[in-house]
Amino acid sequence: MLFNKFFSRGKKEERVLEKIRSHIELLCKACEMFRQALEEGNSGSMRKISDLEREADGIKRKIISGIYDGAFLPYLRPDLCRFIENVDDVFDLLEDTAFSSMNIYLPGKIRDECFRIAFLNQRMCEMLLITFDAMVKGDDLREKVLAIRIYEKKIDDMKFGVLCDLRELSIDNYWHGKTLSDFVAGLTTISDIIEDASDHLQIIHLSMR
Amino acid sequence: MWKISSGIFMGWSLGANDSANIFGTAVATGVVKYRVAICLTALFVMVGAIIEGPKCMATVGGVSTLSPLDAFWCTLATAITIAFLTYLAIPASTSQGIIGAVIGAGIISGTADFSKLYKIVVCWIFTPIAGCVISVILYRFIGHIMKTKKVGIARKNFCLATGLIISGCYGAYCLGSNNVANVTGVYVSSGMISAEVAALVGGVSIASGVLTYSKKVMMTVGKGIVPLDPLSAFITMLSEAISLHVFTQLGVPVSSSQAIVGAVVGIGYAGDSRTVSRKMLVKVGLGWLATPVLAGVLSFIFIKGLGTILLNFGL
Repeated sequence: MLFNKFFSRGKKEERVLEKIRSHIELLCKACEMFRQALEEGNSGSMRKISDLEREADGIKRKIISGIYDGAFLPYLRPDLCRFIENVDDVFDLLEDTAFSSMNIYLPGKIRDECFRIAFLNQRMCEMLLITFDAMVKGDDLREKVLAIRIYEKKIDDMKFGVLCDLRELSIDNYWHGKTLSDFVAGLTTISDIIEDASDHLQIIHLSMR
Repeated sequence: MWKISSGIFMGWSLGANDSANIFGTAVATGVVKYRVAICLTALFVMVGAIIEGPKCMATVGGVSTLSPLDAFWCTLATAITIAFLTYLAIPASTSQGIIGAVIGAGIISGTADFSKLYKIVVCWIFTPIAGCVISVILYRFIGHIMKTKKVGIARKNFCLATGLIISGCYGAYCLGSNNVANVTGVYVSSGMISAEVAALVGGVSIASGVLTYSKKVMMTVGKGIVPLDPLSAFITMLSEAISLHVFTQLGVPVSSSQAIVGAVVGIGYAGDSRTVSRKMLVKVGLGWLATPVLAGVLSFIFIKGLGTILLNFGL
């Protein structure tokens, strides 16, 4: 086992990193699909997000087993796993939000803001992928992590506006109100989890310096 | 030959105790499995003891002239001192213990050579300082390379894992070469065995301690050092090994524990963080003073009291 480590020259680690990259790429794809489906009101595309979430679950399992099969120093493993869990949480939330969106009609007052938030979520995922690539290459992450924080702040500001608009809406059906509220909460929480994931990337990067 | 038994016992306890300084971090962080770690430590301790062990033996024996029975009492006094201080959780050095004991015996026989003690004490003072200075230099140097050179995370991980294993093997080699004199050095000066045989017996006894009873201390020390990141752990181990190797070339047995404490302090200084508390440093200082004094007093009591009784029985 010891000699395997010597002769593999980090191949195990590279395999795990490739899988993590494809996990994040899939997240970018899911976010893009969600945004397009939301803008077009396409329920068929929204349903496909569940398929992507299942695919992501499979990749996550392979990554975790790869890590505990001996890839990376045990010192790094908890932070790497937390990062993977964060990305998986985004998938779960995106799936729930997609499900909520299929059961509501978006009121005109908040419609455009929701589209913008979905777009920013997609941008954040892309930035997360760029940050991950930079970490893998050993580049500086500060600017990338800062960009993610700026996106998150922007979404937070928009969230308060959307919530104010929501309060002014008259709701005649409990389930419609709840689903709408769940949808907005999900849509605006995705950015928080992506920010947490980027923080973990920063921690992993600093741990290896 | 029964008189060597106390040396073998001391070698066993040294192996069980000090191997923690070598692979403790690597085992606790999971880089190396415990079994692999003890096999590597035992192997490299033996290699170090056989190749460079005799270098320090003249120093241990040169402090005073010992009879075979005095040599037995000296190693026994050191072993008891180390066990007692370990029980009090005070870091103790076998190197300081054995020199203190030999001086104690030399005072009785009137052969104590204090001029040689001067060189030894200077080396003791410089052991933690050397560990500290080397770790600061290595931390700044390697840290600078890591920051300026664009190295991918997979390669960094491979370099650190390999570095921890290689520095552990080097540390074991240096432990064997430096500390084997503490175990059997006194038997060489008393004319019981040759330096080569002493190195072999000492190496085997240290290796047996590593193989049979090192798990507990290794886990305790390793988990105590785990808060260090992999780079700091690697530099700490390498600094300790280099310090020991330098003092081996000077022919003076020194404490591996003090070298590693010095290295950890150096990392704390270089990284601008508090890794060692003042209380810990006081404890180390206390062990530094208490070990040679206590071992010296004990060997004095043994030779004066028990030695006379044994002589009366014709042993």
